Amino acid sequence: MPKRTDIKSILVIGSGPIVIGQACEFDYSGAQACKVLKADGYRVILVNSNPATIMTDPGLADRTYVEPITPEFVEKVIEKERPDALLPTLGGQTGLNTAVALAKSGVLDKYGVEMVGCDLPAIERGEDRKLFNECMEELGIEVARSGYAYSMEDAESIVAELGFPVVCRPSFTLGGAGGGIAHDMDELHLIVSQGLELSPAGEVLVEESIEGWKEYEMEVMRDRVGNGIIVCSIENFDAMGVHTGDSITVAPAQTLSDVEYQRMRTASLAILEKIGVETGGSNVQFAVNPKTGRMIVIEMNPRVSRSSALASKATGFPIAKAAAKLAVGYTLDEIVNDITKATPACFEPSIDYCVVKVPRFAFEKFQGTDDTLTTRMKAVGEIMSIGRTFEESLGKALRSLENGRAGLGADGKGAESAMQGAEFDDMVCRPTANRIFFIAEAMRRGMSVEELHEKTGIDPWFLARMADMVAVEQALSGHKLEELDEDDMRCAKRFGLSDVQIAHLTGSDELSVRAHRKALGVVPAFKTVDTCAAETPSKTAYHYKTYDTCESEVAPKTKKRAMILGAGPNRIGQGIEFDYCCVHASYALADAGFETIMVNCNPETVSTDYDTSDKLYFEPLTFEDVMDIVDVEDPDGVVVTLGGQTPLKLARALQEAGVPIMGTSPEAIDLAEDRDRFSQVLDELKIIYPAAGEASTLEEAHRVAEHISFPLLVRPSYVLGGRGMAIVYDNDQLDKYMAEAAKISPDHPVYLDRFLEAAIEVDVDALCDGKDVFVGGILEHIEMAGIHSGDSACCTPPFSLSLSLQGQLRDIARRLALRLGVVGLLNIQFAIKDQVIYVIEANPRASRTVPFVSKSTGVPLAKIAARIMAGEKLADLNLPADDREFDYFCVKEAVMPFGRFPGSDVVLGPEMKSTGEVMGIAGNFPAAFTKTQLAIDYEPPRGGEVFISVNDGDKRNITAIARSVARLGFSLVATTGTARALRASGIECEEVGKIHAGSHTILDRIASGEIVLMINTPFGSSTNTDGYEMRAACVRHGVSYCTTLAGAQALIAGMEAVRETGLDVIALQDLPQWEG
Amino acid sequence: MSEITKKLLENTSKPLGAPALLVLEDGAVFSGTSCAAQGEVFGEICFNTSLEGYLEVITDPSYAGQIITMTYPQIGNYGVNREDCQSEKPALRGLVVRDMCQVPSNWRSELTLPDFLRENNVVAIEGVDTRALVRHVRDNGAQRAVLSTLDTDAESLLAKVRASESIVGVNLAETVSRSEKATFGIDDLPKTQAFALTAPAPAKYKVVAYDCGAKLSIFQNLVRVGCELTAVPWDTPAEDVLAMNPDGVFLSNGPGDPDAVSGTYTQVEKLLGKVPVFGICLGHQMMSKAAGAQIEKLKFGHRGGNHPVMNLRTHRVEITAQNHGFGLLFPTLGELIPEESAGETEHRDDLRFWVEKCVAPVVRNEKFGRIQLTHVNLNDGTAEGIAFLDIPAFSVQYHPEASPGPTDAHYLFTAFSRLMDGREDYLDIDIAADRLAGWKFGGEVNA
Repeated sequence: MPKRTDIKSILVIGSGPIVIGQACEFDYSGAQACKVLKADGYRVILVNSNPATIMTDPGLADRTYVEPITPEFVEKVIEKERPDALLPTLGGQTGLNTAVALAKSGVLDKYGVEMVGCDLPAIERGEDRKLFNECMEELGIEVARSGYAYSMEDAESIVAELGFPVVCRPSFTLGGAGGGIAHDMDELHLIVSQGLELSPAGEVLVEESIEGWKEYEMEVMRDRVGNGIIVCSIENFDAMGVHTGDSITVAPAQTLSDVEYQRMRTASLAILEKIGVETGGSNVQFAVNPKTGRMIVIEMNPRVSRSSALASKATGFPIAKAAAKLAVGYTLDEIVNDITKATPACFEPSIDYCVVKVPRFAFEKFQGTDDTLTTRMKAVGEIMSIGRTFEESLGKALRSLENGRAGLGADGKGAESAMQGAEFDDMVCRPTANRIFFIAEAMRRGMSVEELHEKTGIDPWFLARMADMVAVEQALSGHKLEELDEDDMRCAKRFGLSDVQIAHLTGSDELSVRAHRKALGVVPAFKTVDTCAAETPSKTAYHYKTYDTCESEVAPKTKKRAMILGAGPNRIGQGIEFDYCCVHASYALADAGFETIMVNCNPETVSTDYDTSDKLYFEPLTFEDVMDIVDVEDPDGVVVTLGGQTPLKLARALQEAGVPIMGTSPEAIDLAEDRDRFSQVLDELKIIYPAAGEASTLEEAHRVAEHISFPLLVRPSYVLGGRGMAIVYDNDQLDKYMAEAAKISPDHPVYLDRFLEAAIEVDVDALCDGKDVFVGGILEHIEMAGIHSGDSACCTPPFSLSLSLQGQLRDIARRLALRLGVVGLLNIQFAIKDQVIYVIEANPRASRTVPFVSKSTGVPLAKIAARIMAGEKLADLNLPADDREFDYFCVKEAVMPFGRFPGSDVVLGPEMKSTGEVMGIAGNFPAAFTKTQLAIDYEPPRGGEVFISVNDGDKRNITAIARSVARLGFSLVATTGTARALRASGIECEEVGKIHAGSHTILDRIASGEIVLMINTPFGSSTNTDGYEMRAACVRHGVSYCTTLAGAQALIAGMEAVRETGLDVIALQDLPQWEG
Repeated sequence: MSEITKKLLENTSKPLGAPALLVLEDGAVFSGTSCAAQGEVFGEICFNTSLEGYLEVITDPSYAGQIITMTYPQIGNYGVNREDCQSEKPALRGLVVRDMCQVPSNWRSELTLPDFLRENNVVAIEGVDTRALVRHVRDNGAQRAVLSTLDTDAESLLAKVRASESIVGVNLAETVSRSEKATFGIDDLPKTQAFALTAPAPAKYKVVAYDCGAKLSIFQNLVRVGCELTAVPWDTPAEDVLAMNPDGVFLSNGPGDPDAVSGTYTQVEKLLGKVPVFGICLGHQMMSKAAGAQIEKLKFGHRGGNHPVMNLRTHRVEITAQNHGFGLLFPTLGELIPEESAGETEHRDDLRFWVEKCVAPVVRNEKFGRIQLTHVNLNDGTAEGIAFLDIPAFSVQYHPEASPGPTDAHYLFTAFSRLMDGREDYLDIDIAADRLAGWKFGGEVNA
């Protein structure tokens, strides 16, 4: 029976902004779903607040609503669009929760919307641990022994039965937020009290600890007639106790015998049947006692998840696409295997390679927080690698992380080699982001596999493989490169060593190793991911490289080839936006007649979908790996400017190796990135920029500081996402910064710029073909200058800049783009102070605002950039005038992960900390801004107390805001100085004491929920101030807060707008769209 | 091998083995190193795509006469538990892997796979680009091969392999059958699988099992559903079997060319209609042969744990374990009966025609009356199962005992017990209802 014909239109809910635990894997799954449903002739309506996604491209759905994913807004969309069905299982926990809320409140019934893919009771049985446990009991499948706590007393009595340690899991939270392992009463109190607050149901599950057990995941699919398959099994490298999203994981399962594996498989299918997952993908997690084989179900997700994306990439089986088709009535045997095009999708992929996933963390961004990995996910991204063996795959994985490492150590980097004693032991035993490097170092120092297994709980199989890698590396050390023959070189490569590692070990350099290796004939073979271990011929060019000797499977070149280098792992400062740009480039270059080749190692992305480009290479973005692909593909052009810093920093080396770079030349990139050369360009063009200098020593820094005077913006050269940036106000802070900065980038000097306090920051994204320039958009920041542009809310068109000022900005952008020689995209950051425009920096590459601007203006900048790189001219593209006026405003707001990093400073500054973004579209700026706030917080404050505490510089301007707050019906609470300023303006407020003076009133009121909004502008960078404690409390308790007056102003104006008129929903398709 | 390479590997778990070569009769040469017993062996090259379960594959008697390539690259990871073996001694000729694990990890492991192979004198090669080998076999068909650790001259080996015996027409079942009959019951179930499997049903049926190289897990599954087995040699006369007055007869899997196993199928012809019969794999082919059907040799066999099979009676897909190089040509069983085949009168070579029509077609067989096509392979449209409608007998080409592989088709063992109970609806079992049958969860203590 084919698809259903009784439904014509389907509403798909996305997952909203990228947050920890819910990242761009849902763009991948949602985009797949939209594509396949549309291809099947359904009218697809999409709601997703995240502008940086491919799925929100206006072409992907029939009606695209970039609106908050809240029951209120989704209901408005339903009311307007009247879909027949709702597909809730592809938008992560956010999408699912919203769908549940709509079902429960009767909205779906009211509008006659049918939930497809999963029904409400099934979701509840999957998500509600109590119901889930009951189901497992009926099946006879074990779960960890446990009890529910609704109070501290409950928790204590459960522990009395189970004994410590226990695992605490708050119900209905995202990515396990609020969970943890308690080893004693103190820890129990801490975790349970937090959990009770975080859980929407005020419920915490307390269960026996299975820390140290082996952890597995099964990716399961089921259709409506009951056919079920396992797409992939995954075994965690890290033992139970580390969230699976934070664990290194391996596919397929490595250490299960057939009887154990089949038992797990059978249980997985039975669980899906029992929970009642009607159709679609789910994942089931298991823990296995390594000594007895006792198997326990940890949980199941009745929806497409992060691991489904991983499993899809690991096997070539498109889970989300299949889930969407199953939801509309197809059965598994009716869907054709996309990869072979000859066999049905109703089978279990067989793979003939080993896949390793390694999470990417960002602890360096959150100083002060505990870096121990726990049951609460903290990773901001991940990479996946494919090799024929675990050794090969792990080596690749560890050089894919974009953290400066070239593999499993042996690269002269990292803290592990110098560390000794108890500190070293701690880093070996305690799960952290870098533990694997410490384990390897412990092996170098002679620690045995058994001993390490005891200390870490990691299965000896993984450790033994690592020990082999380390043994080969150690034996290689000290040999000269020239001594190595073909066998030696191949042996080193098969154990996962990179050219950089071999160079380090043989006292050579990467280029020499490469030359010698190729002279020996040791070049990799390229194999194919084909779902069937080569049993059936594959039609899909999804490749990985390996040092197997025999045979490459790369098809001969038949037409011109363009290669696009992706962005690597998501991390703070480099996220989904760049993937969006790469995907657009791929589409545009395919249209322009190229065979497109994507290179990337991030399994969460659309770019690594095998049908995005003609060919996909799942490989690290290092010089070695990229050049190996260049050698077999012989591309006519390589795009390096759309994937953020990762490919950009390869540009020069690739060009020197003779690789044709498309678009802006590496020379032009250097002209923009080299501060001195860039200053000369600005001088030449008579463009103003803040006074600046550079220093390699502390003394030099003091001289520069004296010359250009405080406050200063200091940063190392070549940075990403403001890494290591700070604003310093005096010599003491400068000394401290310089002491720490040396660690960041020892080969490069530190830059010191005059910091323009209270300036307005502006971003401009422009396209240039060498002759003409098209300014894609001018983005006015809402936070003042000094807050990283990635963390700052911004609005386009500008809400306060005069038309003449906007004209000047465009003029500067034009002159600069042409002078730099940009062919493609250029992003310029400006600061405007006292009507004077300063250029802060220019980046001749795609910026993180490109997708937002594209969606705001209807002009797909990345796509056009790729066409320019392929030789087309702006003049021929029929673009609208770039000074056209818009009758709507679009606001982008950043989403912060502070809730995941207790103890870290939550103040915004020049170092970027946000993980994702949302977009709001409305007829006026405050309404658009408010939509972004609703999209992040989900629940706007409607009444209660607003607490205000501002620094002296802001006291004059706070009064107008405070008056509006009062008018909206909130009562005001302020600290002494602020209260005095308010009263002086005739505004009533309650005065409270400061924390350092001994008063805890404010913290208590934040905790109790009396305070619903806090306006607190920071002063200085110290973390030991009242401001720090208050903001931290807000983060913990989910209270909205603003740290700038501009933000507060917009928020209050938005609340006023909502009360007066309400907010409409707007589809992108109703806004002007460029028809190329 | 250079001194430095030796040094590189010195402190790893992988000592450098002696050079070894695999040569196919079409001249393809694959090099690697020895990783088990030394020797020179000849056999048909084939591959298995199971991700785990290497031990069950290696010890499956149906692989007699063959050199097996495992497509998953790293083999031996969880070691060897002897009770997981499918026979007392491996019957394969040789093993080809990409990477052999010397230091396994699993709580049930007793010894390493290389040690097990050496103990059983199995020649094995590692370091082979197995994917290239599989692609070669896929494109050029199953063929004779030689695996040698003694002679590493490709030309010499090619000459030898071309002179070696082909398995077509050879009765390999004879080589892995038994000479004496033996009983098999509850006490013979593996103790080390008790953590995962429930206690067996009380013995209720007396079943005679023709052992043409039976996998032990088939016997174990039969015992678990209440059979008390008497395993008999492959060519045991039907009269002797009937004289034992069994409740049912089981026909086992086995290696090689079914046409060569006339000693079995001629007896089966005499048993059909007299006693309930269930056949698996070679047993299925024996029943087909007994009914006069033709068997074809597949270009390259079905060997793996992921083949989708449609049950035409329930329209449910089973993911199945497969291991066969020959298959039944369904149309040769007889003319279609249009009234019982949705009006169709013409046979189709690709049996997926019936899948799309949602019909289980029925033919008129000259000897045994109506025979229904019950199961079809969705990958290539070949026959996977038949049921005799006028006598109590049914068979499947694939492996419901799995071992290794998915146990979706476990219901067929339940079906056999129902057949012996005389139930008309013996085959109509919902997979989901049967899914957990035999499995045990929980109950173990933590160490």
